[in-house]
Amino acid sequence: MADDNATEEGVNDTAHLYEGKTVSSAPPSRRKVAGRLKSSTEIPKDSIPEVHVPTIIESFFGGPIVNTTKFLPPDRMVASLQMGSAGALLILCILTFMVTPVSGTAWFALSNMLGWKTLGGVLHLIIILGGLIGGLYGIFQRDQWALVASYALLILVTLRFAGSKVDFGIDFLPEGEIYQKMLLLLYAVFLVMYMELTSGIIRFSMLDTSIRTGEVYVMQVTKITARYHKSLLITPVIAASVAGLTLLINLIIPAFVGIFDDVSAMRLRESVELTSVYGVALGTVMVFTVIAAMFAVNLPLRIQQMREKNA
Amino acid sequence: MFAALAIALYLLGLVLRNTQLVTVAVVLLSFLTWAAFRTSHADVASSGRRMDDADSDEGIQLHTISALRRVSSVRIFEDGEIDVTLRIQNRSNLSKVLEVRDRVPEVMRIKKGANYVLMELGPQRETEISYTIETPLRGFYTIGPVCIRVQDAFGLFHNEREIHLYDDFLVFPKMEDIKDAMIKSRVPKIFTGAVNIRNPGEGSNFYNLREYVPGDPMKKVNWNATARSAGKMMVNEFERDAVSDIILIVDSRSVAETGPVSRNSLVFSTRAAASLSQYFLSRRDSVGLVTYGDEIVSVDRDTGKKQLYVLLTKLAGAMAKGNTPLKVVTDRIMPHINRGSPVIIMSPLEDDPTVVNAVRDLRSRNFDVTILSPSSLEFEFDARRLDRTGYEVLKTERDILLSELRGLGANVMDWEPDMLLNTALTGARGF
Repeated sequence: MADDNATEEGVNDTAHLYEGKTVSSAPPSRRKVAGRLKSSTEIPKDSIPEVHVPTIIESFFGGPIVNTTKFLPPDRMVASLQMGSAGALLILCILTFMVTPVSGTAWFALSNMLGWKTLGGVLHLIIILGGLIGGLYGIFQRDQWALVASYALLILVTLRFAGSKVDFGIDFLPEGEIYQKMLLLLYAVFLVMYMELTSGIIRFSMLDTSIRTGEVYVMQVTKITARYHKSLLITPVIAASVAGLTLLINLIIPAFVGIFDDVSAMRLRESVELTSVYGVALGTVMVFTVIAAMFAVNLPLRIQQMREKNA
Repeated sequence: MFAALAIALYLLGLVLRNTQLVTVAVVLLSFLTWAAFRTSHADVASSGRRMDDADSDEGIQLHTISALRRVSSVRIFEDGEIDVTLRIQNRSNLSKVLEVRDRVPEVMRIKKGANYVLMELGPQRETEISYTIETPLRGFYTIGPVCIRVQDAFGLFHNEREIHLYDDFLVFPKMEDIKDAMIKSRVPKIFTGAVNIRNPGEGSNFYNLREYVPGDPMKKVNWNATARSAGKMMVNEFERDAVSDIILIVDSRSVAETGPVSRNSLVFSTRAAASLSQYFLSRRDSVGLVTYGDEIVSVDRDTGKKQLYVLLTKLAGAMAKGNTPLKVVTDRIMPHINRGSPVIIMSPLEDDPTVVNAVRDLRSRNFDVTILSPSSLEFEFDARRLDRTGYEVLKTERDILLSELRGLGANVMDWEPDMLLNTALTGARGF
């Protein structure tokens, strides 16, 4: 295709080398003369190489965000990821609405100050809807900035003070601690999966574009996509299990202590620290200490070695 | 970045005593940990060793991957093609999803196939990647190393390894066919192969008659002339045939690279020098080459095909550097070349106040000087680096210089970018 264009436009074979490329600088004397003629000694713009340092948001997506990136129409894989992401986003928004109460938020405080109590709820809903609309736009237009805005809004809506005790936005939600934490876990898993699926859309769109433009060749596409699909199922389950252990540490520790001493176990169960967010922090420390120890002894490598030997 | 977000959310959650935030952070951390675990991401091991450094860990992930490359040619001309075949072998007992990228020089273009392949390679299996690269610019190049990467399914972590497999190749400047039309000119002897140098000697062309002197072979006696010359024995004299010495001087100063990377004076000069070398050597002339930039590099005159490749190799490696004046070059080479030899200078004639003096010296010693001057003004103007007024002023300055050089008796051609070498040469010789 590129060759056809080159022939049509009469451009020689090496044209691609200087199109849009920085060329070597002009000789000093000429630049001086040309500069005098323009009443300016500035260096020609095209002789200054463009260096783009990715911003934090760009790094988040693994590279510069180019809004003008022209993706080819989505292939089957990308289209299915888009549908999956949209589904995950809808569920996430419902869960967000369920698990995030208005009380304790900045907009709740604002509405109280203004004496217009419904304003807090309206603003809360608007933020969630903003996250939903931005997310849907980002998903189907494959617009990375819209996706980032959607992440930000869906995280922003959870920011509130004095939320140590699990508190939900809808009153009829379960009272039992385990059910509550399961619901919280479900919300967190959907948020993370939404992030992963949407970044997957961008990654696979880029890959698909590269494949179709011949930049990348993929052997056994189905095997590679099947591996991704498999990971999409397994990883959230594993992540949820590890996080579940962390969140339920306030039940696990008393149960373990209860084997030896019922009284101490009872005290631990009633301990405010263990049932609050600091209990979760303790759980995190314990679980992730074990994980860190696994990495410290190069366990992933050892497992890999073992698999190599046993295969 | 996900990790940073997770930590930020976690700390914020603790500060605000917000269970939702902490829960999200914990799930995110768990997600990342599992992805790292699956990728055997040992780069983050507390031991501080990178996987590459750990000999005991050999046989893991990427160390069982080997590569072998074949290239179709190691010496090629500009605009040629090289077929590359890369064989990737998985000596492990597990299948792996690999990203393989064979690094090719930036100026090369992949014409067919791909040097970047994503694949699943089964246990104890091997596969071949084939691609064709176009070589648009002269120079010394290297293909390699082979970069191999294993990523987790979400693209969050990766292990990467470079297989230090390199293949060097050389791209010679493109050569243009120079037609005989140029030779059939007013000065036909200048560029011919066996040049008669207008001295009597052992040759094939008749030069004149002279009286017989003892020692002359009898076969040279011209009996008809002897009969007409009243008893004096006359002998034929022949012109001495000699192989002409051609000296090519290529300006490779940094100024010669002004303009786009593939359209500048140095590129045109090297292509012209290559074409002329081939032409003269094919006519059994003796060709020498001098390139000057930050230093003066010369190839002594010689003939034959081997000399052509020596010259082409030098031209392929000519780098735009330094600012040695032409006068320094001519002063150095003049004592070593035969007077009257054609000297062909390929230079943009910029930033060198010694050009006029250098050409004057050459002409005063009766060298036949031809100057092919690729106009970098045109390159810059085409690349929109120069505005119209600047271009006109500089063009006028250049025309004055060229006229001055013509006034010294040099054959000068203002070589514009779209002009064929043959046309430029013909123009230089005044046709």
